[in-house]
Amino acid sequence: MKLKDRVKQKIADWQKKKEYEKKIEELRKRDPFIYKNF
Amino acid sequence: MIKLGISAFYHDSAACLTLGNSVLAAAEEERFTGIKHDSSFPVNTIKWLLHSTVTKITDIDEVHWYENPQTKDDRVKTIFNKRPIRTFFLRQGYKKDRKNNSPKALLQALGYTGKIIYHDHHYSHAAFSYYTSPYRDAAILTVDGVGEWETTTISLGTGKDIKKLLSIDFPNSLGMLYSTITSFLGFRPNEGEYKIMGLAPYGNPSKYLGKLQQVLDQKQSKLYLYQKYFTWEYSNRVMFNKRLCQLLELPPRLPEDTLTQDHKDLAAALQKLYEQEFLKLVKTAKNITGSENLCLGGGCAYNGVANSLAYRYFKSVHISFAPSDAGSAIGACLDNHVGISPYLGPYFMDHQVRRILNTYKDKVHIFKLTEEKLISTVAELLASQNIVAWFQDKMEFGARALGNRSILASPTNPTMREKLNYVIKKREGFRPFAPSVTLEDANKFFDIKEPIPHMNQVVKAKVNFLPAATHIDGTCRVQTVNYNQNPKYYKLLKEVGRLTNIPVLLNTSFNLKDETITLSPKQAIERYLSSDINILVINNFLIRKI
Repeated sequence: MKLKDRVKQKIADWQKKKEYEKKIEELRKRDPFIYKNF
Repeated sequence: MIKLGISAFYHDSAACLTLGNSVLAAAEEERFTGIKHDSSFPVNTIKWLLHSTVTKITDIDEVHWYENPQTKDDRVKTIFNKRPIRTFFLRQGYKKDRKNNSPKALLQALGYTGKIIYHDHHYSHAAFSYYTSPYRDAAILTVDGVGEWETTTISLGTGKDIKKLLSIDFPNSLGMLYSTITSFLGFRPNEGEYKIMGLAPYGNPSKYLGKLQQVLDQKQSKLYLYQKYFTWEYSNRVMFNKRLCQLLELPPRLPEDTLTQDHKDLAAALQKLYEQEFLKLVKTAKNITGSENLCLGGGCAYNGVANSLAYRYFKSVHISFAPSDAGSAIGACLDNHVGISPYLGPYFMDHQVRRILNTYKDKVHIFKLTEEKLISTVAELLASQNIVAWFQDKMEFGARALGNRSILASPTNPTMREKLNYVIKKREGFRPFAPSVTLEDANKFFDIKEPIPHMNQVVKAKVNFLPAATHIDGTCRVQTVNYNQNPKYYKLLKEVGRLTNIPVLLNTSFNLKDETITLSPKQAIERYLSSDINILVINNFLIRKI
């Protein structure tokens, strides 16, 4: 894989990771998702 | 001896009262508070139990609590101690809850100062399942989220004895895995799992099954889940972390997001994975007990698709009417087999119903009929495609409406499913409805191996003319009904059969969107008036909107 493609891939992975984190944070704020494990 | 059985503080709080080995009455707290899956101390249920059985709190000899708070405390503290800083605030909250939720203090506040006997969470599940079964020897498999430490047990029931043979402990939990993916797909854990079951047939499991299998260590002899994907040990809000998203290459769905094919495929993969792991447990249960009979318990026993697979290893399978924590309130009290029906809740006499109906005289026509006339009239109305709310006798215990608090309709009408989902119940369109059928006719329409009185197995439909009660994959979560189970509902099914040659009705619980199942005639009429249900029947009263 060329360096350019590798950088592109890294950026895409980073963007995905951020998207996942954002969605998880959004879920965290929501009461219905409280799970009574404790 | 009078016993009060209680389950509380996890989900589906409930209480029951037993005299000797017979269950006098039982109900879930949610029916009184209107909060779905209410987990609070069931004070309203206890008050109703005492009132309806003319019992004083001081008459109670023993209270049986469905789990052991001390052992649970041990588990919670042990896992908190793994990450003392990360769980600091969680620990404070837990300590506060622990103090507020002391069974002794809560019962003392009600005036009870007697003996409290604590049982293991999974023992209560096993006891409810086994002692309500017809077997005198059986393998007992209980699977749920988590009890004290245990998440799964296999026991052997012989005569009056239950002997535990195998257990799997937290955090290796099939129930919690199911709940995690449920929340990943934008549904509430401990509530939305049955929606995932309904969604699964719309998807193809192959896309995500391989990825999902990577959360398990397949080399272990017992279920083992890699905790790097989950937050169960340090969070009670979101059950997974970004590693799970990376593994699945899918962001979690928010409840308002559109359901895509990916979501359906993930639901299908989860159901498939659950079935694979469940079958391993069933096989183990067979191997270590050698019994021909299987009793299933724990919240996961609501997974009707998986339940039906147990026949690969067992000749006979019993699943009680409330296998989740609610049923454990009863299980905790039992120490021997008991003849029990699911109709254990409040009922209302005609004069009480009449008094309530009279206050709605300006909104409804009320007709008091004989039982014979009522059944023939309602059967005709159902045959002519009316939707009927059917409120009779004692309320069911457990998540299923089994013909006493039901909305009934014709299963042959192809548009009925959409009408009920979108117009009446205002819920997701992919969710299926279940059919009730007379037991003697069940095999003509459905591929059943045994009677299924509690609507907890999914079977193949043999016919294609029940579109409103058949799921996209040609399966149905069927309820078989015989006379002894529910005489009035049976007679109605028979009459529908006489008129249409199909003694089958679509049967869904009598509640509207996000509501608990109807408890009282007042609730029944309010819900009837605020919906597009055509007819309301309470006891022998037939009610029509003006």
